[in-house]
Amino acid sequence: MELRRIHDYLWEIPKSGAMRVPGRIYASAAMIEQLRDDPALQQVANVATLPGIVGYSLAMPDIHWGYGFPIGGVAGIDAEHGVISPGGVGYDINCGVRLVRTNLRYDEIAPHVERLADALFAAVPAGVGSEGAIPSLSLDEMKGILRDGMNWAARAGYARATDLDHTEENGCLKMADPDAVSENAYRRGRKQLGTLGSGNHFLEAGRVDQVYHPDAARALGLEPGQVTLIIHSGSRGLGHQTCDDYLKIIGRRMEAYGIHLPDRQLAAVPISSDEGQAYLGAMAAAANFAWCNRQLIMRLAERAFLETLRISERDLGFSLVYDVCHNIAKFEEHTVDGRTMRLCVHRKGATRAFGPGHPSLPAAVRALGQPVLIPGDMGRYSFVLIGSEKAMRESLGSTCHGAGRVMSRAQAKKSARGRDLIRELAEAGVTIRYQGRGTVAEEMPSAYKDVADVVGVMEAAGISYRVARLKPFLVVKG
Amino acid sequence: MPDNSERGDGELFREFEHTGDIGIELDAPSRIELFARALVAIGRLMVEPDGIRLLEERRIELAAASDADLMHDLLSAALNLFLADGFIWRDASVAEKDGGLAATLSGEPFDRRRHSLIQELKAVTYHRLSVEKSNNGWRARIVFDV
Repeated sequence: MELRRIHDYLWEIPKSGAMRVPGRIYASAAMIEQLRDDPALQQVANVATLPGIVGYSLAMPDIHWGYGFPIGGVAGIDAEHGVISPGGVGYDINCGVRLVRTNLRYDEIAPHVERLADALFAAVPAGVGSEGAIPSLSLDEMKGILRDGMNWAARAGYARATDLDHTEENGCLKMADPDAVSENAYRRGRKQLGTLGSGNHFLEAGRVDQVYHPDAARALGLEPGQVTLIIHSGSRGLGHQTCDDYLKIIGRRMEAYGIHLPDRQLAAVPISSDEGQAYLGAMAAAANFAWCNRQLIMRLAERAFLETLRISERDLGFSLVYDVCHNIAKFEEHTVDGRTMRLCVHRKGATRAFGPGHPSLPAAVRALGQPVLIPGDMGRYSFVLIGSEKAMRESLGSTCHGAGRVMSRAQAKKSARGRDLIRELAEAGVTIRYQGRGTVAEEMPSAYKDVADVVGVMEAAGISYRVARLKPFLVVKG
Repeated sequence: MPDNSERGDGELFREFEHTGDIGIELDAPSRIELFARALVAIGRLMVEPDGIRLLEERRIELAAASDADLMHDLLSAALNLFLADGFIWRDASVAEKDGGLAATLSGEPFDRRRHSLIQELKAVTYHRLSVEKSNNGWRARIVFDV
């Protein structure tokens, strides 16, 4: 595939064939060399064929092969005349990350890490056969969660007002339509509120080990040595079922709208169509469920900290820094080719990174830009970033979302044979608890790119800036 | 109750590489047996089969526009039996019915204290999904989201 260098960290796939816009990929020269034969680049070109796409079909440096869209893909689609594609959101609707800060210092809790790991593992249910924090939700309660998101959590006593302020969209997409969610999706989600899930989802207790931007770190309440908790989870079975349901519905209706796309997983219909509106309502409902899920996990984790350390809530100081989603479609205003447009921005494995002054940002950080949370692999580090003005001009206010895999799960398992990964992690200072056999091998650090390279590209391109680095010392995997 | 437990993983399916997820390829002498083997395979990808007793049956009946759609819908329905209803199976049989398929899964309720969970599959994708005739029978390729 032809690739043109725009600058050291940005590459272009020229418009050809059915592409409506060019593709653009943020990557270093070394990364782009590794990507040349990767099917993910063809997926960037495929996304460029979606009706209504404007600007560029974008990809972040953690790009890898996904379904329809690449993971790391971003597309801005004209809200009036364009399409919505469930493949541009992904199966795990509103998969996302939240960062919690505490008043604790790592030195204080180091002797208690093993007990804390046991407590977190016991407190936060993970996989199949486990029940959530509220196992007996009625259909009416479920509908309330899907309609109101974090507002439901606040009413039910699981969230404080500051939690809503520090969550994208205040934890509620108002276009949610709980009636657009299938019975199967409800059945899958009904016992999963407050559960972590498997795959790459995790809890990660870490300490702030480097600060790059002292003003922003101060505004976010982060300082060196401080203990933090990252929660990575999404909408669980409810979101997966919703995506699957609408891939089928939308796939069958494309022909009727005269839409022909190169990949079935890209299935799309006009935003204004009945099917498009139904998907958006269901997607928003699943997103609201995901926010409540992360909120409940946060409360469960807080209880585990309190009971293990036997300290007061005040001394623990468990408070939400920010919550971001990285699998979502949202309506936003952006300026494209000098024109302000209302776009349906699909971010699949990409994070919103609004620049300074954006009205949707919490007052404490509005002047600096949006906090962005980028988890790495479980052995190295994760990053806190802030969005930039340039992101608003160039990347639809978007940046990367994680490290990005370099090994398939099968390759990782093969590479782990004969190794004691638990001991290797322990030697790196990381205590781990896990549910599924094989998860540790599949998720081992070397299965991922070094996330420092990924965030480094976005910083060099001027899209997002590092605020702090977090070093894990305790990981819980589903 | 049918017992096809002689279908060892090695002969039942082969895993192929996909960056973030799991892909399998499997063969069967007939189209119907291909669907039955795929049902057994998805169960084996999730839970160790040895501890699963053949105590109960669940039935799935459906029709679709193509064999690939049929495979997607059949495996998705089976996945839902596990993820929503907590039923896990060790064996499956499939028959043609009314232009579609009728499948019977044999197993028992999943019990995390007794059964060994290997991994949770979250969805059956359309990604490069294929069901087609091969030289020696029928072949399917399926990618699962994990």
